[in-house]
Amino acid sequence: MSTEGARIGDWRSRIPDAALFVWYAVAVFFLFAPIVAAIIYSFNMGVVNKQTATWTGWTLHWYPAAWYDLSLRRSVEQSFVVAFWTALVSVGVGAALGYAMVRHPAAAVRRLLAGLTYVLLIVPESVIGVSLLLFYAVTRIPLSTATLVAGITPLTIAVVALIMRARVLTLDRRIEEAAADLGSSRLTTIRLIILPQVAPALLAGAVMAYTFAFDNLVVSAFLTTPQVNTLPVYLYGSLQYGPSPAVYAAASAVFVFTLVMLGIAGLIYRSSRRPPAAADA
Amino acid sequence: MVAVETIVGSRSSGGASAGAVAPRTADHLIASIPTLWLAIFFLTPLAFTVIFSFGRSTFGGVELGFTLDNYATALSGFYGATFVRTVIFAASASALCLAAAYPVAYFIARHTTRRRTLAILLILIPYFSSFLIRVMALHMLMSRGGASEIVLNALHLHAGPLDILDTQTAVFIGMVYAYLPIAIVPLFVVLDRIPRPLIEASRDLGASPFKTFLFVTLPLSRPGIATAVLLTAVPMLGEMVIPKLLGGSRGVLMGQAIASQYLQSQNYPLGSAMAVLVLIAVAVIVLALARLTKGFDEVTA
Repeated sequence: MSTEGARIGDWRSRIPDAALFVWYAVAVFFLFAPIVAAIIYSFNMGVVNKQTATWTGWTLHWYPAAWYDLSLRRSVEQSFVVAFWTALVSVGVGAALGYAMVRHPAAAVRRLLAGLTYVLLIVPESVIGVSLLLFYAVTRIPLSTATLVAGITPLTIAVVALIMRARVLTLDRRIEEAAADLGSSRLTTIRLIILPQVAPALLAGAVMAYTFAFDNLVVSAFLTTPQVNTLPVYLYGSLQYGPSPAVYAAASAVFVFTLVMLGIAGLIYRSSRRPPAAADA
Repeated sequence: MVAVETIVGSRSSGGASAGAVAPRTADHLIASIPTLWLAIFFLTPLAFTVIFSFGRSTFGGVELGFTLDNYATALSGFYGATFVRTVIFAASASALCLAAAYPVAYFIARHTTRRRTLAILLILIPYFSSFLIRVMALHMLMSRGGASEIVLNALHLHAGPLDILDTQTAVFIGMVYAYLPIAIVPLFVVLDRIPRPLIEASRDLGASPFKTFLFVTLPLSRPGIATAVLLTAVPMLGEMVIPKLLGGSRGVLMGQAIASQYLQSQNYPLGSAMAVLVLIAVAVIVLALARLTKGFDEVTA
């Protein structure tokens, strides 16, 4: 690899290389700046319990304050519940979708399912949000945790399905055919041969779905009620009064938690095979 | 070998009488689960929106029927201007996002070897923090007396207080910020797949690095460009959080306008018509991008 790098270095003048690196570094800086700022400001004293751009001094006060803020804590709990159920449903339905997209015997069905998955990804969330609000209003289904979970799933199902599809494409079909020849039913083949092989991909999908659901704001903003109020919606609402530094503390803690979760999922996925299915992004 | 095949063949055909039906039932079952779920929680709500967009708003209710009045309202006056502004905004912010993302993706694909995973992770990690917190922090950084003001003043790039919040510029910066990682990933994937021998061949045949880029790399990265534009322009068309937080009252885009029809004005038919207009704009973008990737066979099932 190093010789190849050296050869490229020969025919390229060094200046574009350096410019590219600087551009990359600036992009990373740009992407991290607000996160670093949010974490730093979670230690800011603030002015009369409001967060401001002015630095008024270091304090550790906001972390316990966030922990003991009952409405904030309730919204975090709600987010965990919603994210858990969304991940569970998305993995079940998304796995079936991703599998059928590759292995369904009829090409027309495969194409239809693939088309449906791409449509899921390209309908703007605000359109999904208002449509669901309308749907629940017309059918008179009262809003609850279940309706919120069902509303978030279309997007996360698409993510799980694409990861699943990428994994199933790499599976050796002859093994499944051999199982069938030996008298195994399709469902037994799926349970004993396919599931063990795709389990790490499904776990990666579950983590993605969980993260998306936890952070979902737009669809949730339409479907939450005072009883079902997730963290992003709570924060969004609190902005009207000016966010307290406790909000930054809660978000920083959740971010660290998310990174740890992603790290664990990444390690499990990596130990199984190949890098994640970024190819389908 | 032939004997073995015959034995295996006969055995499988022996089991086929039971197996021929069972796999199909299982396949249909597996395909029907996601189809049903999405039909109920995705397609039906969208169909409701389309149907309502042709309805008439009455006091405290909706009278279904077929009228194009909602579309006429949505395309004229304030709403029409908002729609046009949103489309222009999404197109230009997406283009800027692409321009900013391309060199980053190119750098990761061509100039990193061992540290490649780290280079991608650094782009993706911010994406997994709370979206709202990032926008709020961006708001704080851009506010009067915030970090950007101090830095810009120190560098003599700007003098005095920074009045960037509640302008279109702030919304623009916020959009590019929020969607940059989503633009980088598909570009990286495509650039990474371009075989290096192609680049070297172009060079060996006498093309300058610039010409090689222009005539080899850039055309071959068209699918990545299309995906990057799709994944940024489409959500930008419906974006409602960034314009509200960073643009204030001056930055109203389609997403917010639709939401207020549903949540404040309770004019579902008009809101639905505006939502359908956004979907039409999305469809136009998809068709335009499909032309861009013409000739590239999707390597999918």
